[in-house]
Amino acid sequence: MSVPDAKAAVTARDGRRSRSRSRARRTGMPVSVALSAVALAAAILCAIAPGLLAPQDPALIDPAGGLQTASGAHLLGTDALGRDVLSRVVAGARSALVGPLILTSATVVISTFLALLAGYLGGWFDAVVSRVADTIYALPALIVTIVIVGVFGGGWWLAIGVLVVFNTPTALRILRAAVIERRDLPYVEAARTIGVSRWSIMVRHLLPNLEPMIVTCFFLGFTYGMVELSALSFLGLGVPPGSPDWGRMLAENRVQVAQNPWAAVAPGIAIVATVLSANILGGWIYERLERRKRER
Amino acid sequence: MSGNVIARFLARRLAAAVLVLLVVSVVVFLLIHLAPGGPEQAAGGEFATPQQLANIRASLGLDDPLAEQYWRFLSNAVGLDFGSSIATREPVLDAIGRGLQVTAPLVLVSFLLICTIGTALGTLTAHRAGGSLDRATVGLALVGASAPAFVTALILLTVFGVQLHWLPVFGTGEGFAERARHLVLPIATLTIAGTAAMLQITRTRVKEVLGEDHVTFARARGLSSRYIVGRSVLRNAGIQIVTRSGTIVVGLVSWGLLVETTFGLDGVGQLLVKAINARDIPVIQGVTLVIAAFIVTVNLVVDLLYFALDPRVRVHAEARA
Repeated sequence: MSVPDAKAAVTARDGRRSRSRSRARRTGMPVSVALSAVALAAAILCAIAPGLLAPQDPALIDPAGGLQTASGAHLLGTDALGRDVLSRVVAGARSALVGPLILTSATVVISTFLALLAGYLGGWFDAVVSRVADTIYALPALIVTIVIVGVFGGGWWLAIGVLVVFNTPTALRILRAAVIERRDLPYVEAARTIGVSRWSIMVRHLLPNLEPMIVTCFFLGFTYGMVELSALSFLGLGVPPGSPDWGRMLAENRVQVAQNPWAAVAPGIAIVATVLSANILGGWIYERLERRKRER
Repeated sequence: MSGNVIARFLARRLAAAVLVLLVVSVVVFLLIHLAPGGPEQAAGGEFATPQQLANIRASLGLDDPLAEQYWRFLSNAVGLDFGSSIATREPVLDAIGRGLQVTAPLVLVSFLLICTIGTALGTLTAHRAGGSLDRATVGLALVGASAPAFVTALILLTVFGVQLHWLPVFGTGEGFAERARHLVLPIATLTIAGTAAMLQITRTRVKEVLGEDHVTFARARGLSSRYIVGRSVLRNAGIQIVTRSGTIVVGLVSWGLLVETTFGLDGVGQLLVKAINARDIPVIQGVTLVIAAFIVTVNLVVDLLYFALDPRVRVHAEARA
């Protein structure tokens, strides 16, 4: 194979890819992203107004009607206590979304603040922050969280608090690297030269340019948090017993998977669909923000 | 020449690893004191009388200064003596050994499958980026990476165990053949989760390296595709793949705990979960320390592999030294 041939082969491959990309750009939004947005919007709607979409009271117990399979009256059947599975999946959206949202918001705020200070100021502060973050990062987050929350007998807020500590280093590393990458760029140097204060450089000049990375960390933290919190609930360490929660439903109903498989599979699918949608949407928003930044 | 540099690097890394283990040991040691009702309540259970509690305090040496207690705990732990389970009186180390008979094959086989399938598929799809195989694989990998292990486990269990009756869904099984049968679905679960991650990093890196000039040059020299990928592309992509392998091993241990719970396997993870529910503090401490030591070792091995894989890391380290 000669050189031009090889080059041609490479560019042909790239060409095919970029053509399909540009088609997506013309129509605005790829189908997968649109579907993800719809799925997340549906989940948010369920979380805000579960009564609107749930066909029944999710807590209504019907001892005689337990473990029904899917039917017209119960689209996903009922669980061991005769509660309507579909209604419980709808009601479960609230704790499924709110927990990760609080978790990732706290993580992003803390890590942005620390990343700006550590990345821009450097020195001993950076050394201390980085060393602590590296140490936490090297620990098995999920297992240590399970142990700590478990020894204290469970608890939703405790779980969120511990997970904030363990998830912050991941975001902090990404954001700190981004700050260091930018701190000697001409616009920052120019600001420094004309005597803009350090605080102002960090907040007015660096922070806005971190936007794509912050968005990425937000979505990443959301999906991590959702998986971790549902895992804790699955082990009985998250939300209190009885409350409709996807992880807990999965654990409670997996024993009766032979009678009504949907009772356990449906909340599982709800978790996967939400995490997948957040991943796809987050990736797409990041790419758009990056492109806009570059074009400017 | 670079032996000295590697030794110094290793010494630094070892120090960091020991620091991490010390932090874990402090957390794990303090847990017993922070637990509701204190350690004597944890050891004696809810219905212990005040006299029993006092006896337990004396026998565990809980009236000694905290630092002295920690020192005792640490020196015992270094000698792999984690005490005995409160519930079963079995030495914690024996219980861990028994659990490893399930967990070690589970994690090891999954990891081997993940490395083989993940890198092979990743390299293949990187070569055909944009094609239909590539797009289908990338889509599936995204779903696989988004699914928590316990959800994948439950879906496999429902389909292949309960609906099709192909494989057992619960328990560990007696004898080699039965145990292997019981491990098929758990291994499949972990493999799906890990392969997705491995495939994503391999595909991204291989695609990047394929676009670099030295690959074009190697093609121009007429070197075979197999030679280029084996000698040049994979070695260049190696660092990121090895880093991700380390994360995947750590993940396998965490997710293995959930998978063991789902399939009722008597592994180390299940041992930990049961100990947490029974507030069996010595078991919790022992298992957590062993897992932490394992993960710290994995991270150390990953660091060393950098040196073996990439001469640039060696040169860089030498330049800094």
